[in-house]
This record gives sequence, C-alpha cells and structure tokens, in this order.
Amino acid sequence: MSANPAARGAAGTEFTAGIPSALQADADAGTAGIGPYRLAWLRLKRNRVALVFGAIFVLMVVLCLLAPVYAHHIAHTGPTENHITDQVKVGGKLTDVVSTDGIPIGPTWHGRFFLGADANGRDVAVRLLYGGRNSLEVAGVATLITMILATLMGAAAGYFRGFTDAVLARVLDLIWAYPAVLLGVALGVTIAVGGLNLGLFQLHGNSLMVPAVIIGVVYVPYVAKPLRGQTLSLREKEFIDAARAQGLSHARILVSEVLPNLLSTIIVFVPLIVANAILLEAALSYLGAGVQDPNPSWGTMISDGIRLIPSAIHLTFVPGGMLVLTILGINVFGDGVRDALDPRATVHLEH
Amino acid sequence: MSARPHVLTAAAVAAAGLTLGLTACGSGSSSSTSTAAGTTAGTTSSGTPAATGKPGGSVTALFGTAPDYLDPGEAYTTQGAEPHWITYTGLYTYAHADGTAGTQVIPGLADALPKISSDGKTYTMTLRKGLVFSDGTPVKAKDFTSTIERSIRLNWGGKSFFTGNIKGADAFDKKQSKTISGIKADDATGRITITLKQPYGAFLNVLAFPAAGLVPSGTAVKNLSNDPPPGVGPYMIKDVVPNRSFTAVPNPQWAKMNIPGIPAAKVTVNVKIVSNTQLEAEQVLNNSADVFDNFDTLPPSLLAQAKNQASDRFSQVPAVSTYYFFMNTQTKPFNNQMARQAVDMAIDRRAISRLSSGTLQPGCFFLPPGMQGHPDGPCPSAGDPNAKPDLAKARALLKKSGEFGAKVTVWGQNRSPRKEYIDYYTSVLNQLGFKATTKLIADAAYFPTIGNLKSDPQTGFADWNQDFPNPSDFYLLLDKNSIQQTNNQNFSQVKDPHIQSELAYLNKVPAADLAKAAPRWAALDKYVEQKAYFANYGYLVIPKFMSTKIDYKSAIVSPVYGNDWTSWSVGG
Repeated sequence: MSANPAARGAAGTEFTAGIPSALQADADAGTAGIGPYRLAWLRLKRNRVALVFGAIFVLMVVLCLLAPVYAHHIAHTGPTENHITDQVKVGGKLTDVVSTDGIPIGPTWHGRFFLGADANGRDVAVRLLYGGRNSLEVAGVATLITMILATLMGAAAGYFRGFTDAVLARVLDLIWAYPAVLLGVALGVTIAVGGLNLGLFQLHGNSLMVPAVIIGVVYVPYVAKPLRGQTLSLREKEFIDAARAQGLSHARILVSEVLPNLLSTIIVFVPLIVANAILLEAALSYLGAGVQDPNPSWGTMISDGIRLIPSAIHLTFVPGGMLVLTILGINVFGDGVRDALDPRATVHLEH
Repeated sequence: MSARPHVLTAAAVAAAGLTLGLTACGSGSSSSTSTAAGTTAGTTSSGTPAATGKPGGSVTALFGTAPDYLDPGEAYTTQGAEPHWITYTGLYTYAHADGTAGTQVIPGLADALPKISSDGKTYTMTLRKGLVFSDGTPVKAKDFTSTIERSIRLNWGGKSFFTGNIKGADAFDKKQSKTISGIKADDATGRITITLKQPYGAFLNVLAFPAAGLVPSGTAVKNLSNDPPPGVGPYMIKDVVPNRSFTAVPNPQWAKMNIPGIPAAKVTVNVKIVSNTQLEAEQVLNNSADVFDNFDTLPPSLLAQAKNQASDRFSQVPAVSTYYFFMNTQTKPFNNQMARQAVDMAIDRRAISRLSSGTLQPGCFFLPPGMQGHPDGPCPSAGDPNAKPDLAKARALLKKSGEFGAKVTVWGQNRSPRKEYIDYYTSVLNQLGFKATTKLIADAAYFPTIGNLKSDPQTGFADWNQDFPNPSDFYLLLDKNSIQQTNNQNFSQVKDPHIQSELAYLNKVPAADLAKAAPRWAALDKYVEQKAYFANYGYLVIPKFMSTKIDYKSAIVSPVYGNDWTSWSVGG
C-alpha cells in the first residue's frame, strides 16, 4: 500500500501557497520520518484549544449517555412522562408542576425538575439528556451513512469516469441542487406520515432512523464531490499505473491504493458532518420533520418552548445552550483535526 | 312529528334558540362555535344589524390553520365555514347577532321562511326576485338543486344531512338517478319544493349550511378552492394562495339586492395563515394584525398579557363545542369496549384544561353545556372529570380486556395546544399499558386525512362545534349512516343499533319541541359515554381578540360561525 500525502487536495479543498509554519515547525522539531497519523496526533496534542473543545464535546456525549441513570435515580421520571397535575416541593412548599393556567414550573435546582418542566409537565433536564442522546444518535448514524455512500460514490465516479461518473455525478448534482433543509423537510414530512417501505428496508414514521437516513443522504454530495475530485487526481498517479500494470483488479486498486489516500480527507470530514448533522437534525425537528413526538430532541424542545418564551424562557434557552456548546465543541475540535492531518488544506462544507 | 300544518316562524325558531342556549357550527378542525354570553352590541333592538363604522379600508385576519377547502361544496371546518357563510348565502341563514339571537334562522335567498306540510315532509319556498351571483349571473331556482347535487358529488362531510333526509338524494349519491327526485325547482316562478323521506326537526338548519349556499348551475364538480366559484353574499373570495392567504372583498352586487338582516361588507379582509399561535397572538396584541382566530387558543404566556394590556379588545365567550379523542370501534384494540372504557377512565381532564391555558371546562359527555340534552350527573365510564383518575383501576380494566400491550397510533395536529393534547394522550396510553406512538399531521390536511377511511386511524384528536342548535348536529358523528369514504366525520366509525333507533325518533322532533325531548337526548348521551365511543374531555371558551383598528364593540361573534366579518369596520 502506498500513502501519498502529496495526492491530497483536489476539488472541495483549498490550498495555501508556500510551506506552512506548522509544517516548518514539525520539520524543525525533527519529526520527519514519522508516519502521517502519528504526526497528526503530535500536532493535535499541541492544539490546546481544540483539545479543550473536544473534551467539552466528549462531556456532552457522556452526559447524554448517562440519561437513563439520571432519569431513574435522580429525577425519578422518564422523558415522555407527563406530570401536568402533579405537585413538587420547592422551598418546602408544594407547587404545581404546571399551573392551572398552563405555565410550567421553572428550575427547582433539585433532583426533580432540576431545570424545570415543559408545558406537558415533563422534566426538562431528563428530556434534555434524552434529547441529546437522540440528536447524537441521529447525527452518528447520519454521518456513517454519508461517509459510506459518499466514499463509494466519490471513489467510483472518480476512478471509473465515463458513464459511471456521468450517472453518479448527476445524482449528486440532483441532491445538491435542493437546499438541504428544504430537501430534509420534504422527505421528513413524507416519511413521517407514511413511513418508508422498500421491501427489505423499512422505516416507521416515528423511527429515529427517519431523520438519520434523510440527513445522511442530504450530505452525501458535500463529501462525495471532493472525494471524486481527489480520486480523479489519484488515478493519474504513477502508483496507480503500477498497480494496473501488475494486473490488480479495479476493486483491489480502489481498496488498497485509492482508499488509503482518501482516508485523511474522510477523517477530516467526519466532525464537520457530525456538527452539521446535529444542526440539521435540530432544524428538521424544530420544523416537525425530524425526530417525532413524543421522543425528545433539542430541536423539538426549542420548538415546544417557543410558545412559552415570555413566561418560561428556560424551555428554549436550555436546549439552545446545549446545542451551541455541542456544536462549538465538535467544530473547533474538527478544525484541530483538520489542521493536524493536513495543515495545508482548508476542507469545509459548502452550502 | 306532529301532523299539524304550520309555518315555521322566526319567532318559533328564536324561541327554540332561547331554550337551547347558544349554537354554532361544527366540524373537524372545529366548525363554528357558539357563544353563550357574547356581547349584544352588534344588533339593534329590532334584531337588524346595527349600522356601524364607515365602509372602506381593510383588515388582516389571522387563521391558525388554513380552511380545509375554500369551496362551499366541500368545506366543513370552522375556518372554512367562517368565510363561506358570508360569501355563499343559502335559502336560509343565521341572524347576524351575538349570543342566542345569532342562532335564529332567517330567510336568506328565500323570500320567507318555508311552508311546511302537515306531515312535516314537504318544504316549499320561493326565491327572492332580482338575485345575482357575484359575477353578475342571475340566480335561478334550479341553481339550488345543482348546488345540493354538487355537494353530494363532492362528498361534503355533512352530506348525510342531505342524503339521509331528502327523498331521492341517497339514490343520487349512489348514482342510481341523475337528479334528486325530492327537489323540484321552477325557474319561472322561483318556487322550490323539497320532499323529505321522513320529518327532520332541524331541516331548516340544514338549509342554512354554507354547503347549501348557492353556486351557479354548471359549476365544475371538483375542488375549486384555488379559484372559488361565484356566490351570493356580502363578500367574495379572491387571490387564494393555498395554505398561505386569501382575500375576501365586498361583493359589489350585494347592496342592490337589499336582503333584510344581512348587512353589506364594509371592509376588505386579508386572511393570513399563521400556524404559530404565539406569533398570531403577538401580532394582534401589538396591532400588526387585526383579528385573532376564534378557534385558536392563546398561549398561557400571552393570555395574561391580553387580559391586562388589551382588556378593551379581548374577551372570552363560551362555545357550544366538544373536544374528544375518537377511538375507532371497527379495528383493534378499540373494537373492545373495555379497552375504550379504560382509556376514558384514565384521562385526567384537569391536565388537558391546563394545556388549554385554563380555558377548557373539564367534562365527559359528548353533548356540551348549552346544548339541549347535555346530561347532568356523574359520568358512567369516566368518573369525576374534576378529580384525579384512578389509573390502577383503568390498567386493571385494560388487562381484563385482553388488549394490554396493543400497538396504538395516535393521530393529531401540529398546532398548539392540540399537539400538547396528543403528547399527553400518548403518555396516558403508554402508562395504561398500550404501546402508543404519535402521528402528527399538518393542520390543514389533518381532518381530510383522518376522514379518509383508507387512513383507518385508530385514535386521535377531534372536536366539534355546533352547526346549529340541535343535538342531532352532534350526533352526525355517531350516526352509522354518516360514515363515508372521504370527508368522513364519524371518526370512531360507530355503528350502534340503539343509537340508530333513538336517532330515528329524536331527529324527527321539531325544533320548537326540542326541550321536551331533552331528557331522551340526555339518556342517549349517557349511553354513549358509558359505551366510551369517544373519550370526551371538555368544552372550550373562545377568544374575541382584535386590534385597536377595529370597532370592537360593534364586532359580532356569531354563535354559529364565529367572527362575523360583515360587522367589522375601521376608523368608525
């Protein structure tokens, strides 16, 4: 196998002229000869800001994974359980979880209703953590779908060119032509009502997989196009010619020669896609086309809280804050990963 | 029905209205609503609409959801009825007045109230002279026949009021005849004779439906919502942008016709669909829009503000309406009476009241307060609607039913607080032991979707606002003869022989004798509650909320159709 860092770049990435200072620093530090991923790790370790924000993201993930523990042992309620007519002790005084005119209780700073309740008397903190789980699950699956499909399509289109490229490129153009949110809303609303049945592949309308699949498909062109461009460039390289001369099959060349050279670009795209998938999931859920009620997500929580902003601002502020922190964490960390893997490239998602 | 010959007089109808309380129209998204104690500023002592403000100007009215259709032959939601009753006047219509006075049926395009035969089966009336549609086409008697036929062909949600009562309408519906044999219309004299299969006490109200509002003969028998057909009324509808907006402009032909009791339009009404009730309420509160949708609920956070900061342009009026979760009796698990009763028992009506900003009065009966036949006393199935439900007992009942663990899909609308109702309802079903998930539908598409038998919804949100002050209007939803393939309103698909035999008697009771039949209606309503065909949870009051631009005191909230646009004036 040959790893050829010089082949990286192509469409979707931008190059800066000259030798970047980071590379020069690496050379000065005597890192020449170290493998590219070890080198990237060394660079990432030096980027304290990226690591701090990466830690914030990991913290969010851990908190969300602990949602069932919090719900069971601290809040003593589930994410969809209504407590509209219940009462809770605040300052030694029994208080309605939802007042008779419909205003929910604010943060109690105790185990039950730590961050208050929503209009349906559901514990906001519990829904926040479960909502985060759902958002991260959707984003994770969506990213996986995007990366697999984009790699397959981008590599195949760039390597085979001709008819294959023409068909795949038009498919990508077709998806690209629609604004991501509009396409997501159209697909989301349609599938949410009737589900999707493609024989072996079935989706129920309220499944979390619905937004995951939609988001996964929507972002395919954003990754596939740069990968296609990079593959177009790679296929002209001498090591590919050499592989062909050895009589290797197309599949083998793609797997053993092309894919390893695409790997760093794929890695750089992962955090970017995760961040965008979380945002798109929140947007779709806010618009009613993502995670379906009564499942919580940060988007649906913000949407539900809008009508109570004047009297219960915590309903929008809390999930909004979590969303900002998570996106900031993964984005800054993603930038750090990109800088570490390829300081010369500015990979970004084009909208 | 009595065999005495009589002419149904306005006085008799008014008396019936008085005994009934209030009325309004009904349907899915909420047909019109009724006001038990609205203001009376809009009418003079003689009952004719008060002259208010000066003509001209425009107002922006906000709808929380788009009308199901903007075609009178198909529309059956409150948002549809509100513009239609002042655009498509029928032979009869309702007085333009608040409160009980607004439930009075008055002649519309007919020159007087009908002559009714001694057996109560033949109605005879004559068209006024000189009537023209908004496009200038003269109105003919046969337009009435074609209008009714068109509504039947279009599967209007209340078509069983026609097919179940007018002789030959059922055969026409089944395409066994080319016209309705029970309607005779003479263009030369303007005389219209309607023969019924059997007497129907509320038939005059049926003739006052907007779906019976005349459209020209030859109007295409298809949904014309994007370009509504001409009608005869104070307004005409133009510039329809589906699910976004439409405009109601004064009909220039109307003033020439000079029909007593129906005022001319004074302002152009620009209707905008704003599905976010928070935004809707804020816009009216800060005067950037002029009218809040009667059939929306103010969010709790703005209700207090509206009461405090806009007390001179905000009030609440009781509505003769009922809110319920339907349960499809033809499919599992709700074909099981015990399963339905368990649901009915488990619902905490106090909780839903809180979701409605406290504007819902908890209840369990289908017939609402203000309607003849509303039962008194405890709920046979649900228990005390103002107390905490016995969930353990309900769970035990569900286990006994054998439906424990059954999968249930709960259908609902996106807009608040209906979405919150569904969240709550789903939570209750899961607590009970069902495996419930929700399916939320865009507001404007909701009722056509659940009203299509192909959708086969198991359970979900529904409401009904009176179309007219007679319990038989509400029992359309429990009449097996009203089940239809599309635009169905009997969402629970109830087919109960006892209900049918009772309706066969009660529907014949003349409006004037309704009070005498009230105990029998009440007994039937208790029977329905005991069978738990629906899980009723209460009755709403509706907001009358306007900007400072509109003369609030003279603005009428019709007990049948909600905001009366002909009463609006600006800068008066």
